Amino acid sequence: MELIDKLSILADAAKYDASCASSGAPTRSSRGKAGLGASSGMGICHSFTPDGRCVSLLKVLLTNFCLFDCQYCINRRSSSIPRARFTPEEVVRLTLSFYRRNTISGLFLSSGIIRSSDYTMEQLIQVARQLRETHQFRGYIHLKAIPEADPALIEEAGRYADRLSANIELPTLTSLKTLAPEKELGTIHSAMGQMRQRIDAANDDAQRDAKHLPRSANPKRLAPRYAPGGQSTQMIVGADATDDRTILQSAQHLYQRFRLKRVYYSAFSPIPESPSGLPPAAPPLLREHRLYQADFLIRGYGFQAEELLNRPGNLDLEVDPKLAWALDHREHFPVDLNRAEPAMIARVPGIGLRSVQRLIDLRRQRRIRYQDLIALRCRMASLRPFVTTQDYRPAEIQWESSRLRRQLTAPQPAQMALL
Amino acid sequence: MTATRSDARHVARATDFTEWRQRARQLLQAGIQPADITWQDGDALHDDLFATPAADSAALPPADRGARLTLSRDQLALLEQSARYRDDACHDRWSLLYRIVWRLARGDTAASHPADSDGSELHRRAHAVRREAHHMHAFLRFHREAPKGNVASGDEASGDETSRDIVLRDSEFLAWFEPAHDVLDLGAEHFADRLGSSRFLIATPRGGVAWNGHEFDYRMPCPVAWAEAARTAMTGDDDHALWRAYFVSTFNPARLNSRVMTQHMPQRFWRQLSEGDLIPTLEAGARHGGQRLAQVASVGQRDGKPISLRNNYVSHTLSAKGNK
Repeated sequence: MELIDKLSILADAAKYDASCASSGAPTRSSRGKAGLGASSGMGICHSFTPDGRCVSLLKVLLTNFCLFDCQYCINRRSSSIPRARFTPEEVVRLTLSFYRRNTISGLFLSSGIIRSSDYTMEQLIQVARQLRETHQFRGYIHLKAIPEADPALIEEAGRYADRLSANIELPTLTSLKTLAPEKELGTIHSAMGQMRQRIDAANDDAQRDAKHLPRSANPKRLAPRYAPGGQSTQMIVGADATDDRTILQSAQHLYQRFRLKRVYYSAFSPIPESPSGLPPAAPPLLREHRLYQADFLIRGYGFQAEELLNRPGNLDLEVDPKLAWALDHREHFPVDLNRAEPAMIARVPGIGLRSVQRLIDLRRQRRIRYQDLIALRCRMASLRPFVTTQDYRPAEIQWESSRLRRQLTAPQPAQMALL
Repeated sequence: MTATRSDARHVARATDFTEWRQRARQLLQAGIQPADITWQDGDALHDDLFATPAADSAALPPADRGARLTLSRDQLALLEQSARYRDDACHDRWSLLYRIVWRLARGDTAASHPADSDGSELHRRAHAVRREAHHMHAFLRFHREAPKGNVASGDEASGDETSRDIVLRDSEFLAWFEPAHDVLDLGAEHFADRLGSSRFLIATPRGGVAWNGHEFDYRMPCPVAWAEAARTAMTGDDDHALWRAYFVSTFNPARLNSRVMTQHMPQRFWRQLSEGDLIPTLEAGARHGGQRLAQVASVGQRDGKPISLRNNYVSHTLSAKGNK
């Protein structure tokens, strides 16, 4: 089979993994050195496909042969899709070629489980090792950690990769049992726990390095780093009956327990010859989007999953989670922007973290006025009923939340558009 | 106050930020008000009829009544970034910056805050510039040069010995890019970090830069031969066929969302991308029936079959896993 055919098949097989981040890597440069590649901690999206997803890494499977029979997965062993397998050298060649042409910032390599979990993990490591050692590649590498593999192998993978990820796919034990009989939640969790320990230890080392001695004089700086970009995971949304509350609580748990950098949510995509256990249609993409918004509020804005969804069920599709929370908690509003704590300002719909910082800076110099919010390009339509400034009080203070909600959702259908 | 003010208008010229900084420092120390200065932008030639000829330091009043201003590194970076902003409609980059430093020097600290009327323009421009630099890092494409004999201008120019450009001959990777603002050097620095010892050349409608693995060679304007070679190379690199195949396969037709795509990747970049012409085709295909499945049609058409557990590829995993 030609390389280009393998690429077509194995890229198609890999695209169900939503992660494509190239961020969080330490600063590396190839200037004045042999080899190639750089990373700056900030990710780069080199292209966007018409599905609106970013292309940052070469995302392929080493092979889509797989022993597992996970029902939601196009590569399950009972699926009659065309199969292919790259040699490690082929993946290396593609990565270097694409990188030189500036179409990617690195590689995200995963694989179907072939022969054994250990064997598969070794194959993935081999690609990363060739890139890093033979070609002195300093770009981004994201490797899939196969939870069932020997801990020593996952240990080794972390020395070459910037990021590791083990996918949880389904957040509950029962769903995992019915849809992915070969996967075990316990195994996935223990792999995540192991990675967290190693990442934490390496970060501690790095911190100690930074505190003592000039960096150039410190031999510890040469000590191997371990997955400096941290670990991430993915959950599939809409392949089973799990509701958003369970998904968010489980994500929150993962952030706390394993210090994950990111949890990705991937709306189940219809695949050929879909098994009977699966829903016939994909969930609305808006549901996935609302989950990302809620996730963002949990990671950056100090919200708890239970605050965003205080009863079993899914997130509101009509309004975003922050606005929904504000409508449910009118007692905290309006917020006086000249007096409120930063954390409370961050809870106002339509004001993002950067604007919070700017407002705090500004009110050290003078009182905040309504006009300032316009100048800061805040989302005025959403925030208007929820703030007071030196020269402004909302007229809607006395309104019932239901009336406010009608007013906020009715006149701006444009805001409801997807993503 | 106004009585002591000099009535003469001043003309100050600057072609780049360093030059502006020097002039601005002198003017600030001399206490010249923003309203009394006509700034000229390098090559731009629109004169102020009532102005006294270009201000040199000798013509300025003594420095005692002016102000000294110390800027933080962040503030300076912000000013520098916004000066890279290009817009045919606005030739006021120097006067905006001067107005801001004038106000800062008088203790008006809000002048550079994004909620201020001058400050918000400053931030808007700096943001647009940072975004454009990021666009360049993301959407510039390198092409390996076609085999030497094929370089179009080679034969015609052979009689003209000086134009046989050594820089051009040595470059391994060529790129043509059309940035909206002055970010060529920001891009070049980034690519020198990425490509290390590989030699590359970037041509733009304004300037050009070559990297030989050790140092940069900036040319303003960009030599015609560079621009031509960079544009020719866009068609002659076979590995872009692999990239195009990847782009098609990694697209998920069941999630079509062109609005988000165009928001992140404005259409003006598409013609510089080797995958650019695929976008409308993929979109149309997805709209007309392809949207049913996530799998790409060409892959679905190939033969395939389920894996039996007694297949060659799979042997003993499941039992191995059972042991744990």
